[in-house]
Amino acid sequence: MITKYFTKVIVRFNPFGKEAKTARLFLASIPPRQRIMGTKIENELLNGTSTKEPIIKVVYKDKKEDSVDPRVLSFMEIANKLDGHSRQLRLKETIENH
Amino acid sequence: MLKNSLFLINPQLLLRCNTRPLLSTTSIRYGSSAVITAKPKDIELNGGRQTVKAPNSRKTFLIDSYKHMMETHPVVIFLHYNNLIKSEDHHFRDQIKSTNGKLHKIRNNLFKVYLKNSNQSDPCAPIDSKNETLVKNHPLYPLFTGPTAAITYKDINPTDIAKLIKLLNIAKDKLFVIGAKIDTDIMDPFQLGTFSKLPSLPQLQATLVSMLQMSGGGSLVQTLESSTQKLYLTLKSHEDNIKEPKE
Repeated sequence: MITKYFTKVIVRFNPFGKEAKTARLFLASIPPRQRIMGTKIENELLNGTSTKEPIIKVVYKDKKEDSVDPRVLSFMEIANKLDGHSRQLRLKETIENH
Repeated sequence: MLKNSLFLINPQLLLRCNTRPLLSTTSIRYGSSAVITAKPKDIELNGGRQTVKAPNSRKTFLIDSYKHMMETHPVVIFLHYNNLIKSEDHHFRDQIKSTNGKLHKIRNNLFKVYLKNSNQSDPCAPIDSKNETLVKNHPLYPLFTGPTAAITYKDINPTDIAKLIKLLNIAKDKLFVIGAKIDTDIMDPFQLGTFSKLPSLPQLQATLVSMLQMSGGGSLVQTLESSTQKLYLTLKSHEDNIKEPKE
């Protein structure tokens, strides 16, 4: 997964729920150095009685927001979905640099 | 497809790829996928202990250590260990040590094996998949789906846990509680937060004793004592009665 262009990541999940695997793998796939480089990572835990929905929300460098439901998609599916916009940003960056 | 086709091949042939057979007995499948790889020689060397993997192997050691961890520590807190860099890892280990706890990283699949076999006397021993004593839906089972660590405490002390929660609040997404085992109860992070606000066990016991002695509890103590006192008096009078004729 290309995480380089994320500026903010919000992950909300119930650790005992079905969505925990996707959400935790997503959190773990962001390199630790990226926190120092300025990506904000926020995580919120839910319990069985919470009314809030589990969510993975990403804000890109160009302020585009993307949110996915970790209950429906697997980690690989989410990574593929988010990579779509990251690749566009990468292409844009390469063109600008040359 | 490949998995199914493996069953069609004679297991002896698979094992003889190295000119000599790895196992003297036929390979038997137990449970879902575990194949016994412990050699008879290893088993003999370890006092005849029957295990799925070699008794002196890393996997057997880890499952044994998880059993020890869960059975000797009343407080085990499970955390999401979000790929920390070395210096952060050392920092948190030090801080956790100052709250009297110890951080262990966990191998998820091996911990799940332990959870499944937590009812058995030896969690590493081969089991039959039809065995009904297997714990199929352990409440902790869903927690082992990602990088996981555990913090163990030798005593139940809510003040230590309160300190730990304070420390983990600073860590935010790097290290956070996902569940806990306190004595025999399984708790979620919210319940653990409520638990940490309780006073310590000796303090609670002292409050209970003072309550019993002070506010109207005097009569309760008297009532509880009265039956033993009555028994003593009856026996004493009986003893006196017996003694009298001798004099």
